[in-house]
This record gives sequence, structure tokens and C-alpha cells, in this order.
Amino acid sequence: MKMVIRELFSRKDLIKELVSRDLRVRYSRPYLGFLWTFLSPFFTATVFYFVFSIFLKVRIEGVPFFLYLLSAIFAWSFFQDSLINSSTSLIQNKNLIRESNFPHYLIPVAIVTANMVNLLPSLVVTIVICALTIKGIPFFVLLLPLVIVLHWGTTVGLSIIFSIIYVRWRDIRYLLEVALLFLFYLTPVVYSLTMVREALPMSAFIIYMCNPFVAILNLYRISILKGFYLLIREYATVMNMMLAVVLFACAALIAGFCMYQRTKRWINDYLSY
Amino acid sequence: MTIFPTSDTVQYLSPQIEKVISLDKVGKRYHFIRNIDSYNRQDKDGFWALRDVCLDVQKGQTFGIVGRNGAGKTTLLNIIAGTLTPTCGSVQVSGKVVGLFNLGVGFQDELTGRENVYLNGAVLGATKKEIDQVFTDIVAFSELGSFIDMPLGSYSQGMRLRLGFSIIANLTFDILIIDEVLAVGDVLFQNKCYQRLMEFKRAQKTLIITSQSMELIERLCERVVLLDHGKVLYLGSSVESINRYRDILAKEKFFVGPKPKENSLITQTKRWAQDIECWGKKLGTREIEIESVGFYNRLGRPLTKLAPGDFLRVKVNFLVKNIIKTPHFGAAIFREDGVYVYGPNTFFDGIEVASFSPGRAWFEIRYPHVTLAPGNYRLSVAVMDRDECLPYTYYCGMYPLTISGKNQDAALTALACKPKLKHLGFVFLGSVIDSLPGLDLESLKDAWGDYFNDNAISLASLRLLDSYREEKEKFFTGEPLEIEVKLNAIAGKKDYYLWLAIFRDDRIFCQSLVTKIRHNTFSFLFPSFDFLPGGYIISWGIWDQNSRRFVSLSHGRQKLKMVFDRPDHGTLYMRHDWRLSRLK
Repeated sequence: MKMVIRELFSRKDLIKELVSRDLRVRYSRPYLGFLWTFLSPFFTATVFYFVFSIFLKVRIEGVPFFLYLLSAIFAWSFFQDSLINSSTSLIQNKNLIRESNFPHYLIPVAIVTANMVNLLPSLVVTIVICALTIKGIPFFVLLLPLVIVLHWGTTVGLSIIFSIIYVRWRDIRYLLEVALLFLFYLTPVVYSLTMVREALPMSAFIIYMCNPFVAILNLYRISILKGFYLLIREYATVMNMMLAVVLFACAALIAGFCMYQRTKRWINDYLSY
Repeated sequence: MTIFPTSDTVQYLSPQIEKVISLDKVGKRYHFIRNIDSYNRQDKDGFWALRDVCLDVQKGQTFGIVGRNGAGKTTLLNIIAGTLTPTCGSVQVSGKVVGLFNLGVGFQDELTGRENVYLNGAVLGATKKEIDQVFTDIVAFSELGSFIDMPLGSYSQGMRLRLGFSIIANLTFDILIIDEVLAVGDVLFQNKCYQRLMEFKRAQKTLIITSQSMELIERLCERVVLLDHGKVLYLGSSVESINRYRDILAKEKFFVGPKPKENSLITQTKRWAQDIECWGKKLGTREIEIESVGFYNRLGRPLTKLAPGDFLRVKVNFLVKNIIKTPHFGAAIFREDGVYVYGPNTFFDGIEVASFSPGRAWFEIRYPHVTLAPGNYRLSVAVMDRDECLPYTYYCGMYPLTISGKNQDAALTALACKPKLKHLGFVFLGSVIDSLPGLDLESLKDAWGDYFNDNAISLASLRLLDSYREEKEKFFTGEPLEIEVKLNAIAGKKDYYLWLAIFRDDRIFCQSLVTKIRHNTFSFLFPSFDFLPGGYIISWGIWDQNSRRFVSLSHGRQKLKMVFDRPDHGTLYMRHDWRLSRLK
């Protein structure tokens, strides 16, 4: 682990270049450029708003539904985009990898980081909108940097795992898409924990709460939406959620790097076909 | 003033040989994932791209890797660069390795040249600061000018190479690896690269290069490894490796670079000629198609059979499909069982053929005397380029030719031979016949090297004499040869025959001479002993016609060597001349 951190640090210039490459490639040609990182989740949120709030009449107590959506949808799309982009990243960057023997995981790390860079302005915009609408910024906003770091770690760990699996087993990409869709509806993005608690018996609810993304998204919401913590305090405390996320992030990272250590010998053999 | 050498000079006097790369029994196996439709046939062993490769590279050395496509060159480079891990064996590389593997590798089409420089530099392990320092040098070296701020997608292959080479040429490294890319640049840039590589060489950097340009390899490299099918065929000086590589290419027939020496040209044509596996095949680039081959006698009548000693004209009509520069023609004769008799070509005969433009044309070869023994033969006809590397057309063993007559022992040649009148008063031996009735040559196979003598009549001496009656062992093709045989004989024995046979040193039987014994001394004179260069062996013995066995025999013991001032090869030289259709 120490070695990995040293490696990450010694190659920080490369990571920087890879991140900036990623951002440039994505935004240099479209006219609206960087704005799209904000616009596309925003439009998704709008669609969800129409479907769930107007047609299905989903109501969240205490928070306007659109803000409720907005506060989670950026974080979710960060996670989803990162995972999907990085799963194919080793294959897509095979030429770069073959040029020099830099550690492969730098590529998923760079992709996740680039997506993170995308996420930050969107979060700021969300906070501002929420602050103006609800008239107040929660105290928990101080927690946000830590939440982001943990979210980054979780995503990096999973991205490394999926990118390596994809080298040998290309079906994983489609499975991943299905799994993400599944996970999306298992995570309270478009509904609230109260609704889940009402629908499920206690035992099933506990299982539901084991999903670390429940904790992550709620942490985001707590730090963005003023007064949101009061709504969910009865189901999960900040400490509990924090602990779960820390554990999960560490587990994902360690699993990812262990997997890389075991597979780095042959990854290059399978890159070209 | 000190007379002791300083530590610097000591180091200079005994330069340390430092291995920077050391590969020991390195092997690389790939497991291919096949397409779904052939999934059940997955190979368990995989494919060995490299096997048992052992090599060392010393610091400051320029090391070349040559071999055909797919020989494992790139895999080897990748293993040295550390981008591939060997399946077995150990690799030790010390120092920073920088590689230029493939054009456009790692370049992003969406980014500008400038951004790509930074990205590539970072991939190759340079920090941003380092790249900042050399950025102007990179742009200057690449001569890309304002294109550096254009997206890379707009670059040509040559421009990509320029950028790629410029980046690595300006970074710091200990070992530089370049994989077959320099050929894309124009001549000026190639020279520039070459100059830069020489600078690295002087700076004691280790360079590892693969290229299909033998010229470049020869100019740059001190040591070259020749790979073939993943194995090291040769590791040593560049000249020797390149020659061996060219040999491989020549063996594989198509594509091939020119061989530097005429000597190797001979071995090459020989290889061409002797490959009977190709019989019945039409090889070559088919830029020329042979339309017909005809055999004619002196009067111009077509013939299918001829007798030994006859005149033969072979006319080859062909269709030229492309512009052909300085070709040469050849026609090789083989015996039905594949024994190569003779394959003259216009190049060996010093005939310069100019160029052909598309259309019909012909060439002819005329043999005043076909000194082949009766039997069935086949003719191969070829039109080659001037280096004997790439045949425009090569019809192997397609045209049968029959020499009629009796040939009991399956002799190959029917050279004229006369008993010699030595002195006045020497009584003649009667005629020379060419085979011994009742002798089965096959039965003599096991007797090779045997020597035995009968008490009553025994072999005394056999001398090979030239026209000055001097004894020699080495004769010139076409020189008169006299074989003088002496026997210790008791007079009065009848029905004894002297048998004398000429073999090639691979024991192919060529010709025998038989005469009835009436005297103790015999002389056979070949006015023109037309065997082509190589070793030959003369066997001789005394045959008892009554008991049908040899009473005395010396089999396979008398050696004879032929030399020639021309590059012709095969077994039998036959005088000939060429006629070519007028060039259009």
C-alpha cells in the first residue's frame, strides 16, 4: 500500500497529464464544452422530476423534490460515468500503456479524478441553488470534502477492478451497465429512505441499508441540504454512515490494488485482442 | 608532474564492461482467445513468440534485432522495455528505458501536438518541468513549426514519426529502443535521426534497434541478433547476422534483398535449382508468364526425343506483363529422379539483358551436343531479376525431355571418350562400351570403399593425366583428361573386362567405361571432360564375364576434383549459346 502511494506520488505529473488529457478530449470540441458536465445531469434530473414528481407524485417531506434529486444526481452520475469509462479504459489506452511500463491503474485513477474535477463545479452550483432556495447552508457542508474523497476512493477501487476484469472478460461491460441500473434503483436517488422504511419490513430494511451507496448519497445530501439530517437521523447517524463508507472505500481500494498486483504480469498480453 | 596515470586514465585504459541488459532463457507464450465460432478448439499450449532467448547488451553498445515479420522482434523489445513480462526466464535491465515502438502509439488524435508532447513525455517518465525545458528543442528537432498546435489527427504518418522521435530524442534515458519506425521519415529526417543516434552512441547510451533496413542496421549496430520463429538463430557481428538473415529470406523465396557477393549468388541459384519439392509449380511474381517451351533439332523441326550427342534448341516463348528491368534467363535440366544436371543462365554467361516492356518475347538456348545419357529429364525455366532474388517467373520441372537409347546402369552422362593411340605399334583395344553386361550397379552399393585384387590379374595403377601428360587431381571443366590404367596381368586370360566408372561425390553414378582386357596398359581419353566443379570419384575393377563377378575392384577410392572459372553449377557442363528476341 505504501508502495502504491509512493508510486502515485512520483507519477503525479503523469496523472495530471492524463486527467487534463481526459478533460480536453471530452470538452475541447463541443461548443458548450465544460458546461456539459453540469448540463447533462441537470437534464437527467429534470426528466426524473417530471416522471417522479409530476406523473408519479413522489413527495419528499421537508425538501423540494427537484433539489432532492439534484443533490444526489451529480454524485451518482460521477460514480456511474467513472465506472463505465474506466472499465474499458485499459483497452482504449493500450497504445499508451505499451509505450512505457507505467502502472496500469493510473489510467482508471486519472479517469475517476477527471470525473471528480467535473463533479466539483456541479456540486458548488447545487449548493448555491439549495442555499438560495432553502435559505441556508447546513453545518455538515464541512463534511463534504471528506465525503468526496471517500467517494473518490470507492470509485477508484471499483474502477480498477472492473478495468482489469474487462481486459480478459469483455462481457463485464454489459453486466456492469445492468448492475449500475439495478444499483441506481436500489439507492435513494429518486425516492426517500422513509418510503423504503414504510415499504419494507425491518430485516429487509437493514439489508437495504447495507448498500454503501445509500450512505454515500445520504452523506452528500446531509452536507448540501439544510435540515435533511433531521429527516434521516432515525434510520442512520452520520457516524454510522461515515464508518460504513470508510470501510467500504478501504475495502474497494485494497481489493483493487491487490488485484492489480496479481494481474499486472499478464495484462499487457491481452490488451491487443 | 606525475608519471602515474590518474584514475581517469586508468578507467580509460580498462573500460569497464558493464552489462545493462541481460536476458536468460527468456520465453514468451501467448494464449490466444479465438473467435467464438472456434471456441472448442482452444489451443492448450498457446503460441511461443519467443523461446530460450539468452542475450546480453553492454553499456554503450548499439544492438540490432533482425528477423522476418513475426519472428518475435517486437515481443523481445517489449520484454526489454518491461511492457511485457516473460513467461519464463529472467530479465535484468538497469537504467531508464525509453522506447519508440509504433507510430502514433500513445498519441491522442484529439489533442494538439503540444499537448501530446506533454502527455507522452509524462508517460515516458519525464516530469513537467523537464519537458518544459526541452520543449523548444523538441519542436525544433521535429521541424513541425506551427503544426505543433494543430490536433494530432491532422498529422501524417511522417509527421507523427517526427514528433515521436523528437520527444524521445530530447528526453534523458539510459537505454533507447526503436522499433522499425524510422523508415517512415523522409531522407533528410532519417539522416537527422541517424545523426542523433550517433550522438547517443558517442554519449555511451545503449541503443536497441530493429529495422528491415539492413543498411541502417549495418551502419549503426555493433552486435545483431537474428531471430526466427522466436528463437535466436545467430548472435554476433552485424555483417554476419545480416548475411544469415538474407540467407533465410532467400530460402523462403519471395522477397529478398540483394546479396552482396557473387559467391553467395551461386549458392542461391543452386538452392533454387536443386529444390525439387517445387516441381510442377509455377513460382515467381508472375510478371512474366511462360507461354510455351519447344524443343527443336538443328533443322528447326520440333522433337520429343533425341539421342546422346544430338543438337538441341530450347525455345521459350513468354508473355511480359510489366516493365521488367535487366532480367536474366535460365533453364535447368534435371533427371527424372531429381538429380540436378545443369542450369545455365544468362547472368553466369555474362549476357546483359536490357529491359522488357509488356508484350510477347522469347529466348533460346542451343546445345550443340547434348551429352546426357539416355533417360527422362525435366526442364525448369525461369526469368529472374538480376540479383537472383525475385523470379519474375519460375516454372519448376514442368517440361519433360527424353533422350532415347539404352542405359543399363542409369548413367547420367554420355561424354565422348576414346581409347588413346599412344605409340605407333600400340594395338587397339577395340571399342569402348559403356556398360558391363550382367553387372548390377545396385549390388556395388555396399562395396563402396572396397579394394581387393585377384592373384592372377590385379590392378596396378590408375593415373589421371592432363594434356601435357602430367598427373593431377584437380581438373578444369572442359579440359582433356586421360585416364591411364595399368594392370598386373597374366596373359591368356579371356573374358575379362576392365570396368571404370565415374561417380559424383554424393555417389550419384555418372558414367562408366568398359573394355575387354587384352593388354596391361589402357588409356581412356576424354577430349573434353565436362564435369562441373565438385568432387568426383573413379572406381575401377576387373570383371570376369564367366563367373559374372569382379575379381579385382577398387571402388570409391580414387578422388578427382573439378574446378571452373565460371559460376556454373550442377553436374555436367554442356556448351551452349543464347539467343534472345529483339527487345521492344
